[in-house]
Amino acid sequence: MSKPRVGIFGLTGCAGDQLVILNCEDRLLDIVALIDVRDFLMASSENDAACPLDVALVEGAVASRRDAERLRAIRNRAKTLVALGTCAVWGGVAAMDRGADRRKLLEEVYGEAGLRYDAAPTQALHEVVKVDLNITGCPIEKDQFLAAIAHLLAGNTPIYPAYPVCTECRMLENNCLLIERGELCCGPITAAGCNARCPNLRIPCVGCRGPVADANASSLLATLEEKGLDRQRIAARLATFAPEGVAQRS
Amino acid sequence: MKILKLRKEKLDLFASVVQQFGEVHAPVEQDGKYVFKRLRRWSEARLEYDRTILPPKKYFLPPRETLFRYRPGEGFAPCSEGLDQRTILFGVHACDIYAINILDRVFAGKYNDPYYQARRRNIVIIGIDCSPDQHCFCRSMRADFVDHGFDLFFYDTGDYYQALVGTALGDDMVLASGSIFEAVDAADIDNYKRRSWNKRRAFQLEVEIRDLPEIFEMEYQSGIWEELGGRCLSCGSCSMVCPTCYCFDVADDVELGSLAGSRARTWDSCLFASHALVASGENFRGPRASRIKFRFYHKQRGFVAEYGRPSCVGCGRCISACPVNIDVVQVIERLRGVQDAGSR
Repeated sequence: MSKPRVGIFGLTGCAGDQLVILNCEDRLLDIVALIDVRDFLMASSENDAACPLDVALVEGAVASRRDAERLRAIRNRAKTLVALGTCAVWGGVAAMDRGADRRKLLEEVYGEAGLRYDAAPTQALHEVVKVDLNITGCPIEKDQFLAAIAHLLAGNTPIYPAYPVCTECRMLENNCLLIERGELCCGPITAAGCNARCPNLRIPCVGCRGPVADANASSLLATLEEKGLDRQRIAARLATFAPEGVAQRS
Repeated sequence: MKILKLRKEKLDLFASVVQQFGEVHAPVEQDGKYVFKRLRRWSEARLEYDRTILPPKKYFLPPRETLFRYRPGEGFAPCSEGLDQRTILFGVHACDIYAINILDRVFAGKYNDPYYQARRRNIVIIGIDCSPDQHCFCRSMRADFVDHGFDLFFYDTGDYYQALVGTALGDDMVLASGSIFEAVDAADIDNYKRRSWNKRRAFQLEVEIRDLPEIFEMEYQSGIWEELGGRCLSCGSCSMVCPTCYCFDVADDVELGSLAGSRARTWDSCLFASHALVASGENFRGPRASRIKFRFYHKQRGFVAEYGRPSCVGCGRCISACPVNIDVVQVIERLRGVQDAGSR
C-alpha cells in the first residue's frame, strides 16, 4: 500500500501549530516514514500544489477572501480535512470581535490604505467547508497530534476527552484557583487535553483550547460574578478564543 | 483486636520504625490544602489535617493506569509496574478507610480486579482520628468509625494515642518498635469513651439516611434535578475527589504506524457528556440534569439496593470541590423537606 499523501497548510494564524509538528523532532523520521508529505510550505521548498491528498491538515482561521478560496481548493484536493489548532477549530483570537464594523477596524489600524485590504470577519474552518476532524489547542499538543496521526493511519477516529480542564486539574491534585483564590479560571468549560498546563503553574486557564462539549458558560459566568468579578471582563475572557456563535457539530 | 497505647512523643520513633516496612506517604500541606504524598522527612507529615484534595483512592485506583500492552503475533502482556510497591499510608481518616472498604466490595467482590487487589494487598493503612469540620457528615453516613480495613488505627486520647491493631502486619509493626507501646488501663478506656462521646457532639452537619432511597424514588420527577442541571458545570470535580467514585473509561493508545498499542483506564464521571454515550450515537443521559440526577441516585439509592448502604461516606470533599456550590447535604435536606402541596 502506498503511503498516504499529506498536505500541511496555514491560513491566518501564527503558524504555531505547524511548528509543533516540526517540533516533534524525535518522531519526525517515524512520521515521514509512514506518510508522504507533498505540500508543506513551512518546511519544504519543493511542493506539489495541485496533487490530490489523502489528508490535509489546516492551521489558522479564515480571515480573508483569499483564505476562503485557498481553503476551498484544499478541501477539493483532500479526502480528509483536519482543522489544526484553536483558530482553525473555533476562529481563535482573530475572531474575538468579529461582529465589529470591519471598515472601521481597518481604517483605525491601517488608515486610508486599510480599506483596500482583503479582510473579512473571521471564521472557523467548519463555517466555510466540511471539516472531518478537529485537533484543538493553542498550540496543539504534540501527544494529541501524534495520537491523532496514529489513529488516522490505523483507520480509526481519534477519541478526545469529553471533559474540561477542571477534571485534569483535579486528577493532578492542584489547588483550585477558582474556588480557593476566586480567580477568573476558564477550566470548568475549556476542553481538556493539555493536562492543565497553566493551572499546574498556578496560572488560571484562559480557555485557549476552546469550549468543551456541553460547556455550561452561563453557570460559570454567574458563579464568577458572585465572586465579584466584572461581567465585561469575564465575557471578554470567555470570548477570547471562541467567539459566541461558533457552534461545533458534535 | 489488640488495643494498646503510644505516648504521643514516641510517634516520631514509631514512624522511623514503620519506614522499614515500606515507602511512607502521609498528608502534606499544599497551599493551605492537604495531599497524600511520599514523605521526604517525617516532619512534613500533617496528621491534624482536615481532608486531602484527592482521597487515598488514588493509590488503589490511579487516575490513569496502563492495563496491558498488545502486539500482533505476540498477544497481550499485562502491566504490573508498581503493583507490588509496598506503600504505607500514614494518617488515613475513618471515612476514607470506610470508602476503601466500599471499593473492596466493588473491585474484590462479584468482579475481580487484579490491579486493585494487588495494590490493596501491598498498601499498608495506618488510620488516624480526626475532628469534624463544617463539611463533615460521616457520622450521618455511619462512616465515622471503622472496625476493619486498616493495619493500625490511632485514636487521640490526650497524652497518648490509643492504637487499634487491625492486622498481623499492624502487629508486626508494633512488635518491631520494641517496647514503646504500652497496655491500656481503666483510665485510658474512660478517656477513649469520653472523647468518642464528645466527638459525636462536634458534628455540625447531619443528614437522615433512613428511608432516603425511598424518598429519592418518590422525588424522581422533582424540579430540583433540572435546577441542579442548570448549575452543574459537568466538570466531574465531585467524582474525582469522591473516595468511592470508581467509574473508569478504557481506551487504547495506538502505536504510530503499527497495530500494536496499549490499553489504559482513566477515571470517568457520570457527569461527563460521554458517560452514557454508546456506539450508535445514542446517549442515555444526554441532558446535564439527567446526569447529575444519576450521580445522586447512584450514591444514595442504587448503591443501597446493590450493596446495602449508600456509597457516600460523608467526607465532604464534593462540597468543597464544587465550583458552583452544589452541596449534597443541602440537596438531601431539600428532598426530605416537606413542601406545600399547592406550590408543586
